[in-house]
Amino acid sequence: MENEEGLCLGIESTAHTWSVGIVDFSGEVYGLVNNTYIPEEGGLHPALVREHHLSNFKDTVLKALQEAKCSLKDISLIAFSQSPGLGPILRIGSLVARLLSQLRGIPIVGVNHCVAHIEIGRLMCNIEDPLTLYVSGGNTIISAYESARYQIFGETLDISIGNMIDMVARDAGLAHPGGPKIEKLAEKSNNYISLPYIVKGMDLTFSGLYTAARKLIESDEYGINYVLEDVAHSLQETSFSMLTEITERALAHTKKTEVLLTGGVAANKRLQEMIKSICEDHGARYEVVPLKLAGDNGAMIAWTGILRFKSEGGFDLSQTNINPKERMDNISIPWRK
Amino acid sequence: MENNTIIEGDIIHRGAEASLIHGFWFGKEVIFKKRYPKKYRIEPIDKKIRVSRTLNEARALIKVKNYGLNVPQVFEIDVNTSTIIMKYIEGEKLKDSISVFDNQKKYEIFNEIGRFIAILHQNGHIHGDITTSNILITPNEDIFLIDFGLHEYSDSIEDKSVDLHLFKRVLISSHGSDFNICFKAFIEGYLSSYELNCSNEGKYIVRNINSIESRGRYVKQVERK
Repeated sequence: MENEEGLCLGIESTAHTWSVGIVDFSGEVYGLVNNTYIPEEGGLHPALVREHHLSNFKDTVLKALQEAKCSLKDISLIAFSQSPGLGPILRIGSLVARLLSQLRGIPIVGVNHCVAHIEIGRLMCNIEDPLTLYVSGGNTIISAYESARYQIFGETLDISIGNMIDMVARDAGLAHPGGPKIEKLAEKSNNYISLPYIVKGMDLTFSGLYTAARKLIESDEYGINYVLEDVAHSLQETSFSMLTEITERALAHTKKTEVLLTGGVAANKRLQEMIKSICEDHGARYEVVPLKLAGDNGAMIAWTGILRFKSEGGFDLSQTNINPKERMDNISIPWRK
Repeated sequence: MENNTIIEGDIIHRGAEASLIHGFWFGKEVIFKKRYPKKYRIEPIDKKIRVSRTLNEARALIKVKNYGLNVPQVFEIDVNTSTIIMKYIEGEKLKDSISVFDNQKKYEIFNEIGRFIAILHQNGHIHGDITTSNILITPNEDIFLIDFGLHEYSDSIEDKSVDLHLFKRVLISSHGSDFNICFKAFIEGYLSSYELNCSNEGKYIVRNINSIESRGRYVKQVERK
């Protein structure tokens, strides 16, 4: 193929991270620049995130090209995050990708964000067929490859783990992103306060846990009988035990021999420790995606774009509409057999 | 002499939550289901989960057995080691044996499972983890439901729908090619049992599955109804 040797420019724009990654067809990352929106207060307001991305997209693309020491002329493929995510934000990614593609006559492919997380993990950790625990601010999914799809074995029935921790952090007066702060606080406590532990088969829910944690913070006893450190500790222990339990159950059910941990929450040391422990118990290989590529990033979009392009070619412009609600298990994975 | 002994043999299955050990209990062939402590959990959570699930499972098995449903008979419980001693059931997991059956047989089996689950639900029992790994087919082709660790008592339509929804998900993810025939047979069996008792509830429960799915993440608007 003419495009065999070339570079793919991947645009990630599903939530608060606007990221551009430049990857070659063998999987080497040449450039990766993230530009993350950090709210002054509260959570992520889609309209504000959109403004942020719109006013920063050009600089980020140029910086990534600079880092990769190339120009737009060297780019032979454009990939963008097509699904799932926040509509207004996805739209900007697809807009910029279509613009570049049209202006330069470069082929374009759309990529599912969740599939991209798994694919970059497989590439970076050199892992063939993992059971993936993907935990982030938007998703909590346990997935493995089965009958031509990344099947979802377990997932959250309501909010995601990252979202839940961030909301508790916000209620406790910590600024966004709350996850790393909760992790720090949790290390300082050993005092466990009982919280609801809800596992439904291989699925779980976090909304009840969130409400219980919020009630602890709002209670009159807060600051007297227990402190924020204790709440953070209890919250992490409960929610991560739930995650680890369903991962173990999925591992026993699917009989996979490799486990991949990815997503923004994968950076949490306590969660890593727990997942590692069950892998040792089941004799499975454990890998965690390096932090820079575990969170949302453009390199994973670029790499998954390359995989799709190699097996199916570029998309028509009519196929490049965004799809904010697409489920990962709806997408065929032609590059794996 | 032999009849008075409790013999623990080999581990025959290591599941996610518990290990199954084959053995003999006063001459009867039994399974020791042991929930070992998990290293990854802190002690208060670990203890709470192991004790509550052991008691929960044993109580549920005893109750469900009374409806004449095929579940293992409980002989003895030890809370300290979170062990349940129950009757050994010879059989194969449905997950592993599903592929050997032809379509007619699949239909019959899943129809039967549907009626099985409907009887549980009509009596206010939620299994909580219906998967093809938790259903055994004996050489006589009897169907046994095992692993009641996540069992709950509930009469709400919502809880029953969640139970079915989880099973549906397992069928899609693990048996995609058989999903259509199996799930159809399952739902037909499920509804037929409710109809036998002149109850409309079955229909509401099945309809509510869609509503649960629509609350999940990333469901298209068209499906949201």
